[in-house]
Amino acid sequence: MKRKRIAAVIERHLYDIRHNFDRLFDVLYWPVLDIIMWGFLTIYLSGKGVTGANFKNFLLGAVILWRIFYSFSRDIAVGFLEEIWSRNLLNMFASPLSIGEYIEGLLVVNLFKVILSFAITSLLALLFYGFNIFPSSFPLLPYILNLLLFSLAIGFLVAGLILRYTSKIQTLAWSFAGLFSPISGVFYPISVLPKLLQNIAWFLPSMHSFEAMRQILAGGGFSPIHFWWGFVLNLIYLALSVLFFKKIFEVARNRGLLVKLE
Amino acid sequence: MILQVKNLTKKFSAKGGDFTAVDNISFEINEGEILGFLGPNGAGKTTTIYILLGLITPTAGDIFIFEKNLETHRQEILQQMNFTSPYVSLPYRLTVFENLLIFAHLYNVPNPKKRIEELIDLFGIRNLRDEPVSHLSAGENTRVGLAKALLNKPRLILLDEPTASLDPQMAHEAREILLRVQKEERTTILYTSHNMAEIEKLCNRIVFLNHGRIIASGTLMEVTNAILREERKEPALEEVFFRAVKETKI
Repeated sequence: MKRKRIAAVIERHLYDIRHNFDRLFDVLYWPVLDIIMWGFLTIYLSGKGVTGANFKNFLLGAVILWRIFYSFSRDIAVGFLEEIWSRNLLNMFASPLSIGEYIEGLLVVNLFKVILSFAITSLLALLFYGFNIFPSSFPLLPYILNLLLFSLAIGFLVAGLILRYTSKIQTLAWSFAGLFSPISGVFYPISVLPKLLQNIAWFLPSMHSFEAMRQILAGGGFSPIHFWWGFVLNLIYLALSVLFFKKIFEVARNRGLLVKLE
Repeated sequence: MILQVKNLTKKFSAKGGDFTAVDNISFEINEGEILGFLGPNGAGKTTTIYILLGLITPTAGDIFIFEKNLETHRQEILQQMNFTSPYVSLPYRLTVFENLLIFAHLYNVPNPKKRIEELIDLFGIRNLRDEPVSHLSAGENTRVGLAKALLNKPRLILLDEPTASLDPQMAHEAREILLRVQKEERTTILYTSHNMAEIEKLCNRIVFLNHGRIIASGTLMEVTNAILREERKEPALEEVFFRAVKETKI
């Protein structure tokens, strides 16, 4: 029965993607636009001779991985917002569905969206700009996993804040992950950052994934230090964010916030 | 006994101090009974319903549904319950059928498509079957909400002002359907409404709440006579309502 309820949550969000142009835009429009725009930038800069041998690969690889990170955390929070916007939260949680099952369903849908987005942007990068990420996909997988875990932790944090402070702060769903981009070294190595920011960056799993990505794309191979730093940090952040979300959910039930969300 | 509420209290923290929404109430519902839950706005009816659905945690008290504690058997209990309220809606981009299918799966309804088609016919919403919920009028939404509430053939239904946005004809038809379902399947119903005539038509017993407290409970005649302090031959809930609210004004 648990599986049926999770499947029902997946079904609910898949129907929403089918009917909602916004969700389709999230999966296709922005990732495609990003890859096209950044791809032209690499052509322009290559023509100016200001780039190193791997510049194009680094930039397009970063765009593809950043989209994975950003979209996954946004879509966890937006999933909750969808229930609030449609005043359906009470119907869902007055049913036998548990909050854990709801999240499991949401994760499956969002994973599907991320895979679709990754496949399309990677294919476009290959077709238009000759950047082939697919041979590197396998060594990149542990770092992509780390990115997903970190964005999941952010998604839980933002969803918890929305449960507590209502949709008044819904803009966090689209903006919070962006906060980490300057010091995650998405498009540049963190060595360009001031020392203080470099030290902070070591505590961001996203930084370890992007640094490792550049190492792999430059032919440097797997970086255990970046993987394990990222992975252990993720375990801590994920545990904290799940605890935070569970606590907020209890507080919301206790204070009657769940029935007042709008 | 289907539902037993013992010394239920819910206090909310507010800026000016604690606010008691539900104040030490106890009541029961027997199988197949329709209990009217009455009271003015802010009396604590909806808060009680949300507590019974596990959406709000009570400050004190115990709730037993199907003789099981709600706190420890939430999923098992909710599997056999359902509810509808004008304060909730369904995902508005999805069609009526898609929404009902999702909830049929959430409640693990056997032969979900067949059950949905039955309910679509029962509530006369066949023309709305493939319409997005956002295209429905308030009355149509109410009928879809009622269909959703009956999907899993619940043993207990909590209906919070279910006919509030229906015209008199539609409201009459909805009441007839509920009565038929209640008789055929011995469904137990907790029913709130501000329409006193409706309560008189539907309910076996009533619980009258004001300021979170039960001020009267019993059969319609018992409550009428107790609140009006005279022997009446017919229930007079509208009069009872005015008198009870006036006398319990803080």
